[in-house]
Amino acid sequence: MLVGGVAALLAAGIGAVADGGGAGPAGASAAAVGAPGGGADADYSGLPHTAVQVSPGSCGVGWTRPAAGLQVFDLTDTGTAAEDAYLETTAGAVLAEVEGLAPGRTRPVPVRLGAGSYRFQCLPQDTDAVTGPTVTVTGGAGSGPAVVPVTQQDLIPPTLAYQAWVSRQLPSLIADVDTLRAAVDRGDLAAARAAWLPAHLDYERLGAAYGTFGDLDRSINGTTRGLPGGTADPGFTGFHRLEYGLWHGEPAGTLRPVAAQLATDVRTLQSSWAQAQMDPKDLGLRAHEIVENTIQFELTGRTDFGSASSLATARANLQGTAETLTLLRPLLQTRLPGLAQLDAAMAAADSELAGLGGVPLSGLPTGRRERLNAVFGQLVTELAPVAAICDVRRTS
Amino acid sequence: MTGRGTGGVDRRSVLRSAVAAGAVGATVAGAVSASAGTAAAGGAQPTGADSSTTEPSFHGVHQAGVLTDKQRCAAFVAFDVTAADRAGLTGLFRTLTTRLRFLATGGVPEPLGISAPPSDSGVLGPVLPTDGLTATLAVGSSLFDGRFGLSGHAPLRLRPMTAFADDELDPAWCQGDLLLQLCADNADTVAHALRDLAQHTRGAMQVRWRIDGFASPPRPSGTPRNLLGFRDGTANPDVTSARTMDQVVWVVPSLGEPAWATGGSYLAVRLIRMLVEFWDRVSLNEQERMFGRQKDSGAPLDGRVESDPPHYAADPTGDVIPMDSHMRLANPRGAGSDALRMLRRGYNYDRGTDGNGNLDMGLVFCSFQQDQDRQFVAVQKRLAGEPLVDYVTPFGGGYFFVLPGVRDGSDWFGSSLLT
Repeated sequence: MLVGGVAALLAAGIGAVADGGGAGPAGASAAAVGAPGGGADADYSGLPHTAVQVSPGSCGVGWTRPAAGLQVFDLTDTGTAAEDAYLETTAGAVLAEVEGLAPGRTRPVPVRLGAGSYRFQCLPQDTDAVTGPTVTVTGGAGSGPAVVPVTQQDLIPPTLAYQAWVSRQLPSLIADVDTLRAAVDRGDLAAARAAWLPAHLDYERLGAAYGTFGDLDRSINGTTRGLPGGTADPGFTGFHRLEYGLWHGEPAGTLRPVAAQLATDVRTLQSSWAQAQMDPKDLGLRAHEIVENTIQFELTGRTDFGSASSLATARANLQGTAETLTLLRPLLQTRLPGLAQLDAAMAAADSELAGLGGVPLSGLPTGRRERLNAVFGQLVTELAPVAAICDVRRTS
Repeated sequence: MTGRGTGGVDRRSVLRSAVAAGAVGATVAGAVSASAGTAAAGGAQPTGADSSTTEPSFHGVHQAGVLTDKQRCAAFVAFDVTAADRAGLTGLFRTLTTRLRFLATGGVPEPLGISAPPSDSGVLGPVLPTDGLTATLAVGSSLFDGRFGLSGHAPLRLRPMTAFADDELDPAWCQGDLLLQLCADNADTVAHALRDLAQHTRGAMQVRWRIDGFASPPRPSGTPRNLLGFRDGTANPDVTSARTMDQVVWVVPSLGEPAWATGGSYLAVRLIRMLVEFWDRVSLNEQERMFGRQKDSGAPLDGRVESDPPHYAADPTGDVIPMDSHMRLANPRGAGSDALRMLRRGYNYDRGTDGNGNLDMGLVFCSFQQDQDRQFVAVQKRLAGEPLVDYVTPFGGGYFFVLPGVRDGSDWFGSSLLT
């Protein structure tokens, strides 16, 4: 499972300005903003700055002159342990976050504040959270978006439900793979081509984006990526190896061992999945990564090894995404203002695919291809906040 | 008070020290416009003697990026609108307005906290500089088909570009519902703007074709050179004369265009591959006779300096400046030639190599005019069969109409067309 890479990406996004050091007050360099070569903008010159302490003993200390509008808090970890910190409403909705702030270091955090009551929450590594004093801001034209953090506890029920959903899909995957294998075994390659697609779609529906199933995914659904021998490489196995053979006139004898391995692999998947523990943070990532993969691999035709079924695969991917969204919906309902737009984008993508039917991607005229790219482009735009919101955060 | 820096490093450092010394404005700008006057070259080029030292304004009767001094980097991006209906198109134009207003103004991108990924790519740092960014939005004739209820509202002279005698047009590189010209002093600013727009408009429009361009600095002075080594844009009209611009560039009421189009302009974009390696194997005499100008100075073949006018009357049979030279065909400087004038604002492009390993570079020809037929098309027809055609291959582009400007903070692109 991909954990490290994406987590690092998210963290980088949150701390977009790495290590502002001694970010000083605004003023002197304001005139340089916009000037060619004027470099003094890394400290958000031109915005009001407030230096605030982040530590168990002094959480929020320094915020003495509350003001509305776009501003920067220069957060310094004055404790002895690494800290996470939130700027939140008194209802616990977070407007800004700093993650993993090192002792003695300062990071600038930009935020827009409107009228309301706010406080800092400091979350030292391995210690209970501490809440700073409540500060009241008056005036202003509204705050930036505030979201109640999603915790590990919040994510465990949908994650378990997702695991159970995947488990329920596996018997039909195994059955359809067996049908495929039987056709290959008896040398009926026309039947094998017909059986390949339903079996492959069973798998694609699971939403195996970014190695959900680890090495097994490579064996079941890998492409020639990273294989020196390309389609002739012995490491090229599974659905796409069969696809290549079935649509390139290879004899059944060549494909029998591939089909046998695939049948074994999907059974191994079933037994290992029964014991697997999915990381709760992966569910939100999955929700947006599946369609990102669809755009990258299916809507480009990169994973088409002959069956010209990219669009059918895309639709199966959408179904997998829909399942993650169904399970996350209770968490998103109060946190994602764009949920209705997301639903509309899911429906639009599905409707576009339904309208296209089983045509090969390469046969689409420019206008249809543009529309397809547009609905999927809009969909990933709407899905992007899901992963950000469903990142696991502490609240205590 | 910031220098746009179109003249490169030297000019920037000059401006910076001027600013630092408090000698802002008058001294620098005055010295600059004095030298610009002698170039007689008009404004749409990155001369070292750039008379503008202010950022282009996003708001105005006309869009920026037309009369604006040519910035060093550009992207020309044609889009097809994928929005479903008129409301979707209106939403797209409003979104483009909001984003481009922000990008052209600069500042701190909106913090989104934990609600979403960052609102900005961060490519330009945490505080966006303007960097001379202009975005110029134009519409193609296909936008006026039935999809958005705009049929019958197109500018009178707007139509798809059809092939001229020596064109080899590739449909994949032609036309588009929209054309966006992004220009800035640096390539990262152009790329950043395009990335921002893509993020905000994915569902409503899709890129049809895109080509990036660069403007050369003056070598060593005067009008910058194209990739054939000749100065390009020498005889441009004077962009500082509002009267001339109303005669050449902007649509005015007397032209009979739809009322919404007043303040706009016709934009002809031509993607012209230059067979530069072939060109480099041609003798200097032959090259100069094709253009009608001296390669080193840019002077007409009968003149001394770039700004000298050619004296065709003294050379009626083309002994000095051939009758079929590019310059003489395009503008014979006779009665009626004034009506042909247009504002050229092209960029060089370099796309690497083609399938044969030949260098793939050329010109994104760009001209702005108030009447496509009277100006661009008429000149193009005059150029048919000129000797230069053996060394260039027009392969794409299109005809577009630059929308009137976004007047103020509550206005938006296309408001006069869609409301």
